Amino acid sequence: MQIIHSDVLIIGGGLAGLRAGLAARKRGQEVIILSLVPPKRSHSAAAQGGMQASLANSTRGSGDNEDVHFEDTVRGSDWGNDQIVARMFAHTAPKAVRELAAWGVPWNRVQAGDHTAIIDGQPVTISESTTAHGLITARDFGGTKKWRTCYVSDGTGHAMLYAVSDQSIAAGIPVHERMEAVSLIHDGSRCHGAIVRNLMTGELVAYVARATCIATGGFGRIYQSTTNAVINEGIGAAIALETGIVPLANMEAVQFHPTAIFPAGILVTEGCRGDGGLLRDVDGHRFMPDYEPEKKELASRDVVSRRMEAHIQSGKGVRNRFGEHLWLDITLLGEQHINGKLREVKEICQHFLGIDPSRQWIPVRPAQHYSMGGIRTTPDGAVYGLQGLFSCGEAACWDLHGFNRLGGNSVAETVVSGMIVGEAIADFCASPAGELTVSTALIRDCGRQAAEEFSAIARCSGPENASQLLRDMQQTMSQQVGIVRHGDALQSAVDTLKSLILRSRQIGLRCSRPGANPELLLAWRVRKMLKLALCVADGALQRTESRGAHFRSDHPQRNDADWLKRTLAYWPDAEQTRPTLRYEALDVLRMELPPGWRGYGARDAIDHPDTSRRQAEVDALRQQLASADRNTRQAALLAFRHHLPAHLRGDNARLGEAP
Amino acid sequence: MSHSIDYTAPQPLRPSLPPDAAALPTAHPPSSVRPSRWPARLDLLQSLSGLLLALFLIAHMAFVSTILISPQAFYTVARFFEGAWLLGRPYPVLVSLVAASIMALLMLHAWLAMRKFPAGFRQYRAFIAHKNRLQHGDTSLWWLQVWTGFLLFFLASIHLYDMLSQPELIGPYASADRVWSGGLWPLYLLLLFSVELHGGIGLYRLAVKWGLFGGKTRARLHLARHAFSAFFITLGLVTLLAYIDLGREHAPRAGERYQPPSTSASHHH
Amino acid sequence: MISIFRRPASSPPPRRLTLDILRYNPAEPERAPTLQAFTIDEAEGMTLFIALNEIRAHQDPSLQFDFVCRAGICGSCAMLVDGRPALACRTLTRDLNSHITLAPLPFFELIGDLSVNTGQWMRGTAERLQTWIHAVDRVSIDEIEAPMAPELAEAIYELDRCIECGCCIAACGTAQMRPDFVGAVGLNKIARFRLDPRDQRSDEDFYELIGDDSGVFGCMSLLGCHDVCPKQLSLQTQIAFLRRKMARLGFD
Repeated sequence: MQIIHSDVLIIGGGLAGLRAGLAARKRGQEVIILSLVPPKRSHSAAAQGGMQASLANSTRGSGDNEDVHFEDTVRGSDWGNDQIVARMFAHTAPKAVRELAAWGVPWNRVQAGDHTAIIDGQPVTISESTTAHGLITARDFGGTKKWRTCYVSDGTGHAMLYAVSDQSIAAGIPVHERMEAVSLIHDGSRCHGAIVRNLMTGELVAYVARATCIATGGFGRIYQSTTNAVINEGIGAAIALETGIVPLANMEAVQFHPTAIFPAGILVTEGCRGDGGLLRDVDGHRFMPDYEPEKKELASRDVVSRRMEAHIQSGKGVRNRFGEHLWLDITLLGEQHINGKLREVKEICQHFLGIDPSRQWIPVRPAQHYSMGGIRTTPDGAVYGLQGLFSCGEAACWDLHGFNRLGGNSVAETVVSGMIVGEAIADFCASPAGELTVSTALIRDCGRQAAEEFSAIARCSGPENASQLLRDMQQTMSQQVGIVRHGDALQSAVDTLKSLILRSRQIGLRCSRPGANPELLLAWRVRKMLKLALCVADGALQRTESRGAHFRSDHPQRNDADWLKRTLAYWPDAEQTRPTLRYEALDVLRMELPPGWRGYGARDAIDHPDTSRRQAEVDALRQQLASADRNTRQAALLAFRHHLPAHLRGDNARLGEAP
Repeated sequence: MSHSIDYTAPQPLRPSLPPDAAALPTAHPPSSVRPSRWPARLDLLQSLSGLLLALFLIAHMAFVSTILISPQAFYTVARFFEGAWLLGRPYPVLVSLVAASIMALLMLHAWLAMRKFPAGFRQYRAFIAHKNRLQHGDTSLWWLQVWTGFLLFFLASIHLYDMLSQPELIGPYASADRVWSGGLWPLYLLLLFSVELHGGIGLYRLAVKWGLFGGKTRARLHLARHAFSAFFITLGLVTLLAYIDLGREHAPRAGERYQPPSTSASHHH
Repeated sequence: MISIFRRPASSPPPRRLTLDILRYNPAEPERAPTLQAFTIDEAEGMTLFIALNEIRAHQDPSLQFDFVCRAGICGSCAMLVDGRPALACRTLTRDLNSHITLAPLPFFELIGDLSVNTGQWMRGTAERLQTWIHAVDRVSIDEIEAPMAPELAEAIYELDRCIECGCCIAACGTAQMRPDFVGAVGLNKIARFRLDPRDQRSDEDFYELIGDDSGVFGCMSLLGCHDVCPKQLSLQTQIAFLRRKMARLGFD
C-alpha cells in the first residue's frame, strides 16, 4: 500500500478544513487536504444568507458587540452549548469577516442615506450614517437582537469558499480530490492519519500525519428530506465513532430549516425572512404572529419549524400531490431587492418550481438542515479519546450551537473554528507530543482491515439491497426522528434501525465493476450511516426533555435539573447494534449567562438546582463591576481569551466604540 | 429528435495518485522578462485589417454597382480612380497600386486569421465534432467564416491579380467582357457570396469581440449582419446580372473598349 | 382511491423517457465507449438528478455521475444534455424531448460514464492565473475594514458568481482545438480580480498571465461560453473588456 506522509492531514475540503489547513500551513506545517469533491464544490457553498459577526456598522446593528452575539447564541442553543466556546466564537467572528474581506470576499456594504426595508410586513425607512458608508453591512436573521448577518447577496458561502479555497491554492496546499477517508490509523490512544480510498480508482492509500483533522461536515443524508448536499453522509464522524474510543456528542440535536422548497428540499435562505418575507398558510393568513407575537417569523429556527409543523397539523397546510406545505411570501420585497439580494433564491425558484418569487409565493416545509452534534472536541478542537486527532466545522461538536444553531452562525463557525483549531494543530505538531512515532506494522494492519472490509462487502452475496436500506433508514428518520418526537415513535425507530443494521451485513452487490464502483461504495457507506442514525435516534429516545431542536411531545418541557448535559455516543464493539450512551454535565456554576427564558418559544423550563445560585453570583458581580468597562466585567464572569491563539485575542474595533 | 453524440475517444485516467505535497507546484513566480507585446498587436492588426477590407468591400461594391446607373457612370468613376480628375489623364497604374495594397492587406489578414484555423487534422476533427454537437449559431458561423475565408484567399487573389496586372481593363465593356466572354462570371458569383457572408460575419464578430456596442446588443447585431449580407448580396447579384447582360450584348464586339459619348463626339469633330 | 377518480381527465399519462447515456469505464480500457439506453417513467417535476438516481437505484448500480448540492449552485453535475453543456441537477425532463442523450463534458479528463475531472483542471487554471487577491499591504483584522463603494462590491460579486462547472470550456470552440486556452472561466476570473481594488496587481501583471493566444487573444468570440453559462455571467462583455485593456498594452 502506498503511504503518503505529511505533518497535517485535513479530512474535508470545505470552509472549516481549508481554513484550518491554512492556519497550520502558515505556521510552517506541511498540510495535505483530502476532499470527496473539488473543494469549491463543498456544501459550504450552499450557505446563502450570511455570516454572523458583530461589526455594528449598519444602523440596525448599532450597539451590537460580542456580548450581544454571545447571549443570542446561548439563548439560541437553549443553554445546551459551551459558553467558553461561544465567547471565543463571538470574539473571533468579526476578525474572520475582516480577514475574508481582505481576501476578496465582496461583502455587501453600507449605503449612506435613507433606504426602505420591509420590517414586520411594513415598509420602514432606515437611515444609514455617512461614517459607515462603504463598511460591511448586515441583514436581520432569526433569533438575533441586532442585524448582524454579514452577507454577499445570497451567495455568501460561495464567495467565502472561493476566497478561502483560492488562499489555500496561493499557499500551495495540495488538495487530493475525490479521496475518502475510510478509517483512522490509531493505536487506541494516538491517531496517526487515515486509510483513504481513491474514489476514481478504488485504490486504498495510507496517509500518515502527525496531526489529523476531521472537517467533513454534517450527516443530513440520513434523513429523507434534507437541504444537505448528497455528499453530507457523515462518514468522517462515522469513522471517528468506529474507533470505539471517540464519542459523538449531542447527535439528537438536529436542526430543521423552516424554509426548504417542497418537496425537493432545496434550501431558500433565512435571509428571505430576515429581509421581510412572511409565512402564510392555506388561507393566505400570516400565522407566525399568532404563535410568536414578539419575534414572529424571526424566532429561532427550531421554534419556527415546530410552529409550522403544528400549523400544518391543525389543518392549515396547503395540499398538493406530494403532501402538505406552507407558503413563503417574498413578493412584498419587490423585484429589485430579489434580483439583487436574493438572486440564488430567484434562480432556484425559476429552475425547480418554474415560478417567479417576486410575483408568486414559494411552497416550503421544514427539512433537515444541520447537525449540531458531531465529534466531541475541547475548545481547542482536540477530539476526546485520541491524541493527535482534531475536528472542526459541522463535523465537530465544538459545542457552539448546543441544541439549536442560529442562522448565520454555522458558516461563521467554519472559518472561526478553522482559525482556532488550525493554530491548535500547529501547536500540537510543534510540541513533543506531536512527534510521529507510528510503526509500519500498525499502518499495514489498519490498511489490511480497511481492505478486508471492502472485499467482504464485495464478496457477500446476501439478499439485501443497499439503496433499499438507505431509503428505509431515511424514511424512518424523517418520519420518526423528525421535528416533533415521541417516545413510542423513537422506540420504533430504534428497533427499525437496529434491524436495518443487521440487514446491512447481508448486502449483496449486483455488479462487480472494477475501479470506482458506486454500488460497493453505497453498501459500505450505508452501514456507517446507520450507526449515525442510531446515535441520533437512541440519543433522542433517552433524552426525556425538550431542548432547542430536540422536541418531545411526551416531554415538552426543558428539564435543566436532569438534562443539562451532553450526550456522548460511543460504539466500542463493531458487533453491537446500538450505541453506548454516556453523559457529560454542563457546569451551571461556570456559566456567564445562567439558564433562563430564551425570549421566544415556550417558557416552562424545569430549573437546575444551581441556576438561582449562579444567577445571584452573576448579578452581584455585575453590580460590583458596574463602573468597569464591559471587557473587564466580562472577563470576571467568564475568562476565555487565554483559549485563543495570541494573535486573535485583541479587542475588535467598532465605529463609535472607544478603542 | 435526438442528437447524435460524436464523442472523441476519452482521455485516459491518470493512473497514479495525486502528487505528494512537495511535488505540487505552487504559484509561478512572476518572471522578470517583459512578456512579448506582439500577441496584442497582432490581435488588433487582425481586426483592423479585417475592418479595412470590409470598408474597402463596401466602397468597391458602391463603385462597381454604378454600372446600374449607366455604363457612362461606371466609366467616369473608373477614370476618377485612375486619377484623371487630378492629373489630367488617367493613370491605370494607380489602380494597380490600390490592388496591390489590398492584396497585401488580404495576405496579412489571411495570415493573421489563419493562426486561429484548426492546425492539423486532430484540431479540425475536434472542432467539427464540437460544432455538430453544440448546434450553436455563433460557433457554426465561425466555421462558415473559415471556409469563406479559405475560398476568398483564392478567389479574391485571382480577381486582385487581374486588376493588378491589367488595371486599364476596368471599364463598362472591358469588365463586362471579362465577366461574360472571359467566362469569369461563376468566379464572381462565388466571390460575391463568399465575400459578403465573410464580411458580414466578420463585422459582427468585430463588434462582439471588442464590445463595440455594449453587451446586450447581440440580437440587434445579428440583425444588422443579416441586413448587411442580404443588401450587398442582392446589390451584387443585380450588378453582376447587369455586367452579364452587357457582356452578352457586347460579346460580338468583345475586346472593344468603351468610348464615352463626349470623347467620341469630340473625336468626330 | 378517491383521489384517482378526482384526477382531472385532461392530465396526460406520464411519458416514458429514453435516456441514452454514454458509458465508459477507464478501468476497463478494452471496452469502447458506448451509448446505453435506459427507459424510465417521467414524474412530475423530475430533474435529471432524480432520473439518474432512479436509474442507478433500480436499473444499473454501476452508473457513474457527479452530484453534490443538487440545487444548481455547486457546479458538479455539468454534462452534455442533448449535446449542450448544462447543469443536470436543475434540468427538468419536461423541458426535453422524451429521447434524451447524456454524455460527459468533453475536454476534461474522463473519470467514468458521466463523471469528469473538472476539479483538477480548475486548480491548474487557478495556479496558472494566480486567481487570488495579491495584496502588498498587511491588513489588521482587529481594525475596522477598509470601506468599499457598495456598487463596486456588488459588481465584484457579479463576476464572483462563477461556479467553475466547466460548461463554458465545454462550449468553447477554441478550447476544443487548443487545450492550453484559459477559456471564459479563466478570463472571467482575471476580470474579477482586476476589478477588485484589494488586488494590487497592475494591467502589466495581468498581461503576463493572459496576454497571448492561450489567453485573451486566443478567444475567437464564438460566445458558446456566454450562451451556456448556467449563472448567466456577462462573459461576452468581460472578455471584450479585457481584450481592450490588454490590447492597449501592446502599444505602450
